[in-house]
Amino acid sequence: MVVSINKIQKKLSKKFGDSVKAELQGDIIRLTGSLSDWNEVVEACLMSSEKNSKVHVVNDIKFTGAEIPKMRIPSLSDSELEGKTPDVLVIGGGISGCAIARELSKWNINVMLVEKEADFALQASGRNDGEVHVGVDLAKGSLKQKYVLLGNHMYDKLCEDLDVPFKRIGQYACFTQSALLVPVWFLVQWRRFHDGVTDARIVLKKKLLNDNPTFNPNFKFAMYNGLAGVVCPYGLTIAYAENAAENGVEAYLNTAVLSMDVENGKIKAVKTNRGTVYPKIVVNAAGVFADDVAEMANDRFYSIHPRRGTNSIQDRKSSKIIDTIASVQIINKQTFSKAHTKGGGLIRTVHNNVLAGPDAVETFDKEDTSTRPESIKTVYDKQKQTVSQASERDIITYFTGVRAPTFEEDFVIEWGRKAENMLHCGGIQSPGLTAAPAFALDIEKMVIERLSKEMTVERNKDFNPKRQGVPTLNEMSPEERAKKIAENPDYGVIICRCEEISKGEIIDALERPLCPPTVDAIKKRIRPGMGRCQGGFCSPLVTKIIAEHENMKLSDVKKSSAESVICYGETKGGATE
Amino acid sequence: MIKTDVLVIGGGPAGLAASIEAHKNGAKVILIEREARLGGILKQCIHDGFGLVRFEEKLSGPEYAERFIDEFNELNIEALLLTFVTAVKKTDNGFVATVVNRDGVKDIETKSLILATGCRERTAKQVFIHGTRPAGVFTAGTAQHFTNLLGQLPTKKCVILGSGDIGLIMARRLTLEGAKVLGVYEVKPTPSGLTRNIHQCLNDFNIPLHLSHTVTRVFGADRLEGVEVAEVDEKMRPIPGTEEYIECDALILSVGLIPENEIAENLGVEIDPRTKGPKCDASLMTSVPGIFSCGNALHVNDLVDYVSESGETAGKSAALFAGKTRELATVNPSDKILYIVPQSLDVLADNSETVVYFRSKEVYDNSIFRIIVNGETIFEKKYAFLRPPEMEKVIVDFSKCGLTKDSKISAEIEVTSK
Amino acid sequence: MSTTEMVCITCPRGCTMQVEQQENAIKVIGNFCKRGEQFAVNELTMPMRTICSTVKTSFPESPVLPCRVSCDIPKDKIFDVMNEINRVVVTERISRGDVIIKNVLGLDADVISTSDLLRKGE
Repeated sequence: MVVSINKIQKKLSKKFGDSVKAELQGDIIRLTGSLSDWNEVVEACLMSSEKNSKVHVVNDIKFTGAEIPKMRIPSLSDSELEGKTPDVLVIGGGISGCAIARELSKWNINVMLVEKEADFALQASGRNDGEVHVGVDLAKGSLKQKYVLLGNHMYDKLCEDLDVPFKRIGQYACFTQSALLVPVWFLVQWRRFHDGVTDARIVLKKKLLNDNPTFNPNFKFAMYNGLAGVVCPYGLTIAYAENAAENGVEAYLNTAVLSMDVENGKIKAVKTNRGTVYPKIVVNAAGVFADDVAEMANDRFYSIHPRRGTNSIQDRKSSKIIDTIASVQIINKQTFSKAHTKGGGLIRTVHNNVLAGPDAVETFDKEDTSTRPESIKTVYDKQKQTVSQASERDIITYFTGVRAPTFEEDFVIEWGRKAENMLHCGGIQSPGLTAAPAFALDIEKMVIERLSKEMTVERNKDFNPKRQGVPTLNEMSPEERAKKIAENPDYGVIICRCEEISKGEIIDALERPLCPPTVDAIKKRIRPGMGRCQGGFCSPLVTKIIAEHENMKLSDVKKSSAESVICYGETKGGATE
Repeated sequence: MIKTDVLVIGGGPAGLAASIEAHKNGAKVILIEREARLGGILKQCIHDGFGLVRFEEKLSGPEYAERFIDEFNELNIEALLLTFVTAVKKTDNGFVATVVNRDGVKDIETKSLILATGCRERTAKQVFIHGTRPAGVFTAGTAQHFTNLLGQLPTKKCVILGSGDIGLIMARRLTLEGAKVLGVYEVKPTPSGLTRNIHQCLNDFNIPLHLSHTVTRVFGADRLEGVEVAEVDEKMRPIPGTEEYIECDALILSVGLIPENEIAENLGVEIDPRTKGPKCDASLMTSVPGIFSCGNALHVNDLVDYVSESGETAGKSAALFAGKTRELATVNPSDKILYIVPQSLDVLADNSETVVYFRSKEVYDNSIFRIIVNGETIFEKKYAFLRPPEMEKVIVDFSKCGLTKDSKISAEIEVTSK
Repeated sequence: MSTTEMVCITCPRGCTMQVEQQENAIKVIGNFCKRGEQFAVNELTMPMRTICSTVKTSFPESPVLPCRVSCDIPKDKIFDVMNEINRVVVTERISRGDVIIKNVLGLDADVISTSDLLRKGE
C-alpha cells in the first residue's frame, strides 16, 4: 500500500495549522503535535488513517485539554505469581482472552491468564448489547468481516458446549424511504453473493409489520438477517474462563501487567502486581489498553481511541414490544461521513429484557464507564422511531462500556512487529463478541505453531470442551424442579424474587471454578439483582449467603473489587468495647 | 392437590390481617410467605409509631406485627413459610397457585385469592441517577435491612435523596448508630414524609433538609466517594451553575414505593395508573372476580393501621366470596386528587358505610373534599390542610342515592382559600 | 413573652401549634387534642424522646435484637442511652417486652426487647 504522507500533512495543516505533524516511520504513521480538544485529536488521526489499512496511525499528539487518567491498578500486592514460567501468558480476561485461553487448553502447555479487574468480562465484554452479528454492514477484506462470518456460524455448537443460552432471533434494519429500496436490494444481493452473508434478504412493509406489529407503521421495508442472535456476553466470557480453568489454565484476577523486560526484540519478563512471570509467548488481549501493553514491549504500532457506548435495560414486563433485533436506518449526510455514528437498536435480550442502545461517544478516558443522561436521550430519541412504545419509563438499569477501536477500525491479529514473542489481539470492538470464537482458533494455531519450534507440544488428552453451568431452576418443568429440590432443598429457597433465583443456585455459583466471592460476581453468573428491584431486596441476603458459605465476616463481602465495601462492620461493639 | 377457600399471598401486616379476618368469617385459609418469618417489612421497621390509630399505643414495627402473628398462631391458621409463588392460574373452580419451597413444588387450589404482596422501592436508575456504579448506593430499605436485621453499618457519612418516611427514619437510625447524615435532599418543593418525622428524625439531630434539590451524579469507582447535588427549577430540572460536590461514602434513596403487582398483572387484573395497584370495588375485589387486593399492593399507605384495615376488608370479602355478579359504577377523581380507593362501587352491594381513601395531588390549605353522585353532593368534609404524604380516610353512605351502574360518581377537592 | 411555632410529634397528624410562653403559663393553639398541649409544655421545660435501636446478641441467626426504652427519656440523654445500649450483648433467649437494661442511667426507663425473635422455640 502506498501512503502519501505529504497528502496527509496537507489535509492536517489545512485543518489544524501547525498543531499536528504526520511522519511515516516504517509501517506506521506517527502523529505528533498538540491539541486541546479531544475530538480534534480523534479527527486528526481519523483523517490520517485509511479504513482496514495495516499501516496504522499511532497517536502521539499531546492532548492538553485535560489530564488523561492512568490505568487503575488493583490494590492487591503479593508474590503469588513470582517466578512462574508459563508457556503462554494471556493478558486480559475479556471475551478475547478467555476464548483464547480456552482454545489453548486443548494442548499440554502451561497457559496463564491475568485480568486486572476483580472478575472476568468487567469492561467491554460485559458492557455491550450481546448481539451475535451477521456482518451485513461489513465489506470483504477486513479481519472483522472474515471472523464475524466464521464466528456467527460457530455459536450454536459453542453455546451448547459451554452451556450458555443463545437464541437466533433475527435482525431487521428498517427504512422509511421507499426510494432506498432499490439501492438496498442491490446491497443485499452483493452481500449475499460477494461477501458471503447468505441470510440477508429484503422484507417488504406488509410482512414486516405483520410479523412485527409494534414497529413504526411508516417503515417501507427492511433488510432482514435470520442468523443474527443474542447471547449473554459476560455469561459466555465467564463460561469460556471456567472451561479454560477446568482444562488446566491458571487464571488470576486482580492481576495487572505493569511493565516488561525486553531484550533484542523479545519479551523476557512481565512484571505484575503479584510478581514477575517469565512467559515464552505473550498474547495481548488487553482491550482498551492493548496499545499500552504493546508499548511495554516497545511494539506500539497502532493506537486505541476509546469510544463510550451506553445501553439501557428495560423491565421484562415491556418485552412484548419486541422479540427480535431492530433499528431504524436514518440515511443522511452523516451516514457518509467518516465519523462513527451509532444510534444502536432495540434488542430482546437472551434473558427477555428489552435493551436499547448503544450510542457512541469518543473519550480520552479508557475507563470512563460512567453514564450520562444525554446518552439515554440520544438512544431513545432514535429508537422510538423503531418502536414507539420503547420508553425510558420502563428502564431498570443502564451501563456504559468503552470500545477499543484502532483508527483503522479493524482488528489487529498478528505477531509483534518489533516484539517477536508478542501476539496482538487488539482493536477488538463490535463485532468482537461474535468474532472471538473464530479468531481464538486462529490465535491458537499461531501460538502452537510458534511453540512447536522450541518445544514438543502435544494435545491435552483430558480436554473436555463441555462445561456444565449452574442449573436454572425457573426454566425447569415442575417435575424436574421438584426432583432437583429433593436432591438439594436449598433449590427451593428463593432469594431473588425478581429473577427467581434460589439459595442453591447461589451456592452452586460460588462453588464453580474462578468465582470471586462477591455480590457482583454472583449477579453476573446467575442474575440475583438483575431484575426490577435491582437487588434492593436480595443484596443483603446474597451478602449473607456469601459470608456464610465462605466463612467470612459479612463486612468482608464486597460488591466487586477489594475497595468496594458494602458494610463497614457491626453497629454494636457489644461488651468487648 | 391442596385445597383451600382463601389463599393469601404475603405475610406482612396486610396478609396477616386478611388471613385472620377470613378465618374468623369461616373460611379455610392458607398464607404463603417467602421469608422465614411472618411480619413482612415490619420486621426491620424497629422504630416506633405503629398502631397509634388502632391500639392507641406507640409500638415498634416488630411489636405491631407480632400482635397479629400471635393471634394468627392462636387461631391455628396455616402458613407456608420460605415459600414462593411461581405462578397462579385461573381455573373453573377458582385459582391454582404453584408454589416452591424446600419440600418441592406444590399446587394449591383456592376459591379466592388475596394479594398482599406489598411494595418495592424505586431504585437509583429509576430516578435517573447517573455517574459511576460504586458500592454505597442503597435504597433506604436495603440500608435498613443491613442495619436493623444484620447489625451492619452501611455508611459512615451519607447523603439521603428523597424525604419519604423511610428515608427520614433511616436518617435518625443511622445517626443513632454513629453515622453522619450530611443532609436530606428532596426534588419537590415540599417534603414527601410525615411532618412529625421531619421534626423528630431531622430537626432533633440537626440534619438539614434541602427542598427543591436533587442528586445529579454519583462519583467513585469502587465505593462511593461523593455525589453532586443541584437545585432544581419548578419542573424539577437541575439548574446549571447550582451544582455542588459533597464528599460522602453512601447515597441512600427514599424516592418512592411501587406496589408489587406482577402476579395480579399476569392474571389480567386491571391496574390503576394513579395508585399502581389494582382497581378495586369497596370490598377490595379487583377487576377479576375472586381476586382481592390489600395493603401496600393496593396503594402505598403511610400508616400500617390502614394496611391492616384494608387487609381485614379483603379477608372478610374473600371469605364471603360467592361469585355473585357485580354491577360496577366508576368513581372519577378530579385533577386535585392524586388517587382514590375504591375506584368503583358495586351498586348491588351494601354501600352504606363505604371506606374511601384518598390523597391530594398537592398541598392545599382550607379545602373541601366532596363526593358527587349524579350532580348531587352526597358527602363533604372540610380540611384545614391536605398534604400528599398524608392519606385521608372518610366513611361515606352511598345507600341513599340510588346507585346504578350508570351513576356518575365523582370526587373533588375545592380549595376555599390560599 | 415569646411565641414559637412547634410541630407535635405525638401522633402522625403532626399538628402545627403556636406556643406562647406567658408569665405563669404556657398557651398553646393549633393542637387537635390535649396531648399536643402536654407535648408543647414538655418541649419548653424538658423535651422527652423515645429511642428505638437494636442490641447485639450471641445468636448467629439473629445478630441483633430490636429494643426500645419503655418510656420517654430526656432528649439530651439520647446518646448517653445509646452508649449503654451499644454495650449490651443478649446471650439468653428472651421474649418481647423482657427487660434488657433495668432503669437505664437511673432515668426510670428500662431498655426492653421489642421482638420475639429470640423467644424460646422460635
